[in-house]
Amino acid sequence: MSGKEEQWGTRFGVILAVAGSAVGLGNFLRFPGTAANNGGGAFMIPYFVALLLVGIPVGWAEWTMGRYGGRKGFHSCPAIMGVIGRGAVARYFGVLGLLIPCVVYMYYGIVESWCLQYAWAFATGGIGLAGDATTMATQSGEYFASVSGTDADGRLDGQASTVLVWLAIIGLNAWFVWRGLTGGIEKFCQWAMPAMAVCAVIVLVRVLTLGTPDPTRPELNVSSGLGFMWNPDFTALGNAETWLAAAGQIFFSLSVGFGVIVNYASYVKKKDDIVLSGLTASATNEVFEVGFGGLITLTAAFVFLGAAGATGSTFGLGFNTLPVVFAHMGPLGNFIGALWFFMLFLAAITSSLSMLQPVKAFLQEALGWTANRSVVAVVAFTAVGSLWNLHYTKDLVALDTMDFWVGTGAIFVLATVQVIYFGWVFGLERGMVEAHHGAKLRIPRVVGFVIKYVAPVYLLVVFVAFCWQTLDVRIAALVDNPVAGYTVGIIGVVLVVLVVVTRIGEKRWRAAGLDLDGQRPPEEDTA
Amino acid sequence: MTTIGWIFMTVSLVFVWGLALWCYRRVLRD
Repeated sequence: MSGKEEQWGTRFGVILAVAGSAVGLGNFLRFPGTAANNGGGAFMIPYFVALLLVGIPVGWAEWTMGRYGGRKGFHSCPAIMGVIGRGAVARYFGVLGLLIPCVVYMYYGIVESWCLQYAWAFATGGIGLAGDATTMATQSGEYFASVSGTDADGRLDGQASTVLVWLAIIGLNAWFVWRGLTGGIEKFCQWAMPAMAVCAVIVLVRVLTLGTPDPTRPELNVSSGLGFMWNPDFTALGNAETWLAAAGQIFFSLSVGFGVIVNYASYVKKKDDIVLSGLTASATNEVFEVGFGGLITLTAAFVFLGAAGATGSTFGLGFNTLPVVFAHMGPLGNFIGALWFFMLFLAAITSSLSMLQPVKAFLQEALGWTANRSVVAVVAFTAVGSLWNLHYTKDLVALDTMDFWVGTGAIFVLATVQVIYFGWVFGLERGMVEAHHGAKLRIPRVVGFVIKYVAPVYLLVVFVAFCWQTLDVRIAALVDNPVAGYTVGIIGVVLVVLVVVTRIGEKRWRAAGLDLDGQRPPEEDTA
Repeated sequence: MTTIGWIFMTVSLVFVWGLALWCYRRVLRD
């Protein structure tokens, strides 16, 4: 459909690209806080259960759907879902697989620019923190407000440094996607993922060798810092919210239901393995999350600031608390801070690249546009949306609204829909046969049962509980805060645009004689 | 950190690192 078909250059390339998409700020900032607040070490029990029951099986289903769709000539989520779900209903549910990367990119690029600004500031002398811990915390909060504009709307308007860094980030993302799968995304991830690991190891070694930095407070040491995160509270296991938090963490961490794996896997050849590749990408994500995130963030915060300093929101921990921690580290602090924020920047950019690619592929195949024209269109479109988030920055209401309705809610919906269509419409048996083409690893038979029965029920329960816990407050917020309400309106506009383009694509695909409704029998699946 | 905390941490780290190393060994072997 879109001229010369793109493909991944190497198996390592696709593994690192998918892992790069999955590894993000949540691995280092969200995971440790969630674990510490939900039973510490005991949290790892529901966490690993969710990994085995939802994360890895649903991931395999997505890889399989993507590669199958790619063989049918499709690379976008709506088209692939139409094939898997055999019709227009599934196809239009698949639009969520474009809405999610598109809208999340509208704020992710901004967060990326914060990381880069922090990394640069630490590399060039720090962010100007001095005095006692309380003073530094205040200064750190002020610095974050100056970078993110959280204290008032319109604070970033005309603020050259922030806008220029953001524009540079947008340009960098566009350049990598412009260069294509192998020359851009794959090449960058092959460099960025090992670089992230090196940065993480250096920061980890420094954190684990902090000892007892303040002799007057011997209780604040590395061992008790690790204990803050890992000491188990088994009573938490009896709390449904713990299991919900674990499922949510796994889910968002692995990027399932995001529309990215389906797109990336569509460029894998039929004879190439996806089972071992999928598992390897998930395992890589877990190393960054548990192996690095679980040891660095809270330990460092606890050692210097105690339990009170080691709690807080994702952004609060990452951009307010940790700079104070780095300031306490002495001469090496700025170097460690620069490495840490550069690592977060790499984690963010490998994820944001994966958000542009699915929408670019969609424009190519739905409208018949060239790759370059599609890149320009998706970058311009998402940049306009980002301007909203750059202007309405007070308390990050606009960003938070997009993150909740699309970056959280829509992901649940898409993952649930995908796993149901895969297990019940495409057919589990057929799906397992398809997954094993070229496989270097056998999927245990029990995984089929998990995909068909356990994962949909698990996802539905988690989704209902998620709605029960949050929806009334969120809907009230839309009425109370016009920025939140208008932000949902913007999401609605993006959705309408994507639906209209899908409708145009549908006509083109039908005219081209493609099997867009997946009606051809399985024996013809060798195209 | 308590002994049980150390155990949870060690088992979790062994699991994630073990899984990743096993996967990459298989990928490299193939």
